[in-house]
Amino acid sequence: MFSFILRRLAILIPTFFGITVLTFLLIHMIPGDPVMTMLGERNVDPEMYKSIMARLGLDQPLHIQYLNYLGGLLQGDFGKSFSSQSSVWGEFAALFPATLELGICALLFGTVFGILLGVLAAIKRGTFLDHGVMGLSLTGYSMPIFWWGLMLIMLFSSYLGWTPVSGRISLTYDVQPYTGFMLIDSVIAQIQDPEYNSGAFLDAVMHLILPSVVLGTIPLAVISRMTRSSMLEVMGEDYVRTARAKGLSPRRVIFVHTLRNAMISVVTVIGLQISTLIGGAVLTETIFSWPGIGKWLVDAIFRRDYPVVQNGLLIVAVLIILVNLVVDIVYGVVNPRIRHAK
Amino acid sequence: MNQLSVADTSAATAGVITYPSPLREFIDSFSNNRGAVAGFCFLVIMVLAAALAPWLAPYDPLMQFRDHMLQPPAWQQGGSAAYLLGTDEAGRDILSRLMHGARLSLVIGFSAVIITLVPGILLGLLAAFFPNTAGRVLMRMADIMMSLPSVLLAIAIMAVLGPGITNAMIAIAVVGLPGYMRIVRASAMSELSKDYVMASRVTGAGVLRLMFFTVLPNCMAPLIVQATLGFSSAILDIAALGFLGLGVQPPAPEWGTMLATARDYITSAWWVVTFPGLTILLTVLAINLVGDGLRDALDPKLKRAA
Amino acid sequence: MSLLNIRNLCVRFGTKDKPFLAVDGVDLTVDQGELLGIVGESGSGKSVSMMAMMGLLDGQGTVTADQMLFDGQELSALTARQKRKIIGKDIAMIFQDPMTALNPSYTVGFQIEEVLKVHIGLDRKARRQRAIELMREVEIPDPERRLSAYPHQLSGGMSQRVAIAMAIACEPRLLIADEPTTALDVTIQAQIMDLLLRLQKERGMALLMITHDLAVVSEVAQRVVVMYAGQVAEMGAVRDVFFEPAHPYTQALIASIPESCRGSRRLSTLPGMVPGQYDRPSGCLLSPRCPIAQERCVRERPELISYGDRAVRCHTPLIPLQEVKS
Repeated sequence: MFSFILRRLAILIPTFFGITVLTFLLIHMIPGDPVMTMLGERNVDPEMYKSIMARLGLDQPLHIQYLNYLGGLLQGDFGKSFSSQSSVWGEFAALFPATLELGICALLFGTVFGILLGVLAAIKRGTFLDHGVMGLSLTGYSMPIFWWGLMLIMLFSSYLGWTPVSGRISLTYDVQPYTGFMLIDSVIAQIQDPEYNSGAFLDAVMHLILPSVVLGTIPLAVISRMTRSSMLEVMGEDYVRTARAKGLSPRRVIFVHTLRNAMISVVTVIGLQISTLIGGAVLTETIFSWPGIGKWLVDAIFRRDYPVVQNGLLIVAVLIILVNLVVDIVYGVVNPRIRHAK
Repeated sequence: MNQLSVADTSAATAGVITYPSPLREFIDSFSNNRGAVAGFCFLVIMVLAAALAPWLAPYDPLMQFRDHMLQPPAWQQGGSAAYLLGTDEAGRDILSRLMHGARLSLVIGFSAVIITLVPGILLGLLAAFFPNTAGRVLMRMADIMMSLPSVLLAIAIMAVLGPGITNAMIAIAVVGLPGYMRIVRASAMSELSKDYVMASRVTGAGVLRLMFFTVLPNCMAPLIVQATLGFSSAILDIAALGFLGLGVQPPAPEWGTMLATARDYITSAWWVVTFPGLTILLTVLAINLVGDGLRDALDPKLKRAA
Repeated sequence: MSLLNIRNLCVRFGTKDKPFLAVDGVDLTVDQGELLGIVGESGSGKSVSMMAMMGLLDGQGTVTADQMLFDGQELSALTARQKRKIIGKDIAMIFQDPMTALNPSYTVGFQIEEVLKVHIGLDRKARRQRAIELMREVEIPDPERRLSAYPHQLSGGMSQRVAIAMAIACEPRLLIADEPTTALDVTIQAQIMDLLLRLQKERGMALLMITHDLAVVSEVAQRVVVMYAGQVAEMGAVRDVFFEPAHPYTQALIASIPESCRGSRRLSTLPGMVPGQYDRPSGCLLSPRCPIAQERCVRERPELISYGDRAVRCHTPLIPLQEVKS
């Protein structure tokens, strides 16, 4: 078990370097001169141009720039945004909780309902319910989620008026970003000023519902499919036949014997959704004007804000790899064969 | 032991054995899957609409009818049969735009898949046949590329290349590459461990021959399924890029691009928002249904057990 | 009265327009404490028929029978819940591959104790005690420690012993063993067989042994059923069926044992193969391969006819049998 973890960690290092190369090269292939963009592309004083180039280190040869960049990274320096001049890491840290909160809610939504529907579909295989669940899952998987978001906004926000259209909380509330998680911060705000901030928590919840459903739709579809197929596969295994030959009740056969083993595969899928969630967050945050890192990255790309794009992508990639590592480890723990291996 | 007289039993076996051919079994299996058949029919209609759009579409997709801006669909009050699905904010007929948009989406998606397929197959085979040298490097690179969400990577590549149709195609192709590589590699590696490959090797088959004539044909099934699903995700990615303003540029009638401007009309003109997205959904759904049907029909393990 | 009495058991797979009869009109009786062998090659339907009776086919095939009496009770008339009180308790089954028959996520002790909990309702301490006793009975060394072992940590022979322990935990009247030694090493096979026989004698349990090993059946069983392509070809007392076979298939089976061909250079076989889904003859299922097939055999399916204790399904049995209507 221990060596399993060590091996996985060892692979991290070359992967990390590979990502830095990738993001570095990517950014330096973007056409357009960042210095010109910064200076406004009008009549530029050549001296000013040179000094800014030097300051930003853009006059060095490419491999030197890369080494400088790498050196900075290893010291924890992720650069400064061209447009706002604040540190990239600082901006990331400020905006990340919003995406994290949205992501967690979306994943919870997708996982809970996904597993439920998947188990139901497997138990009632071949029936209307099974086909219905699979049809729904396929539809969810085939939808452009930005359109899905727009449709839900049209229905629930415009037409029915049940949910708000955008943002994390109504501007009428005075909520301080202590944790960055609106669900927690709104409760704190309500405690601090019960009269003014009454209903803040509920408001935060209402703001979270639609984006979570939209972002969680694809994970829901994928998890329900995976659960169903995993359940069906396990149900065909010999030991499930043994369990039934022991005269155990169907409920016991499913929940004790089948589910436990089916979940092993599902756990991996859940972990892999992190990548989908971040990609989906880009689109979801755009539609719901959700101030998270998805929107941040897209805006930076449009602005040619190199440090933000470069380091932002790097941080996201490392995050995903770390999460995948954790998923791998959890899988190793959950699967008894690996747990007991030397 | 008694000696038994042998009677003539050859008549008993005459005309009894009829195994269905693999093609027949595939067609039977596929046609039994109602979803797959429905998806296939829809796709045929879509392809025809796309191919014949210049003649079939009621209007030119770029033509603006200033007197009929934001007109509702035919069955609603204020609509007319002249503009079946209504018009958009610039007075262009939505139905015509959808039909022409089909050409864009289908062609770009298909091309993206084809562009990815060839290098994907080559690299995957390379990784499988030389697992300790090229394989290691390629898999590491695939892991790195797959560590970024595909949408983000596509956007980043588009930022490098600039907006436009061909660039969108390239971006989507690059993003899909590691996926195909992995599938071909996994498939090829499992075939390589099988006896028939060993037999080929023993009779002196060279590496190239092994790669393309022995191993590759047996990897086709998962590859076909993946290519189909890749086609559908390519269409979704194109639409996403269009929506963000990075892919096909307005006024071209790409479905995602149409949705970008439609955002402002959620409250006032629901048809401008609904129809393009609905078309994307139905097309992608159809392709996925066909892909699922292909997978079920091609995977012998799922055949009904006797 | 016999313990188990099955008449005309049929199991149908496939679609409506292309049905496949994996089990076709099987009749079977097992008496208290008797050892019955069911022999046949792969695909003869011997496993499927027993799993169908136990209700383990899980809706994959359609099971019909004129009669399925266990201890006087008609099994098909029971509700699912009532049936579950019998399965695992009064009728138990062990399977061919012990390495996949146990749930890899739970300890061996848990899986044995589970049967005790569900059927007998012992409390935790009593369950643990009983599980240890059972493991000792099936000759598992150091049972206290083995309770917390996981199946993948055990060998094939050990796993099969655990499966047997689970099966006999509730003192069943009938134990069905589906090729219990096929997947094991030869030396272990003998040990497991001895174990099963010992348990059968000590507990007065009826044992239904499904196997393709004729030698074992001839040594230990009282009666035998020979199956071919889903049908019963012949059945009767072991001594009668094996030493004076009436059905050509039985004779071919016996002749194919290597010991029977001592002195000759080639092993004796029947030409052709067992019919599958697509090539079932309209007459006798053996007729394409049978060395003594007549014109009537190709045309007409023979019925299973009883002659007292024996039954044969053949138009031209090898030995003349007294027709005794039973």
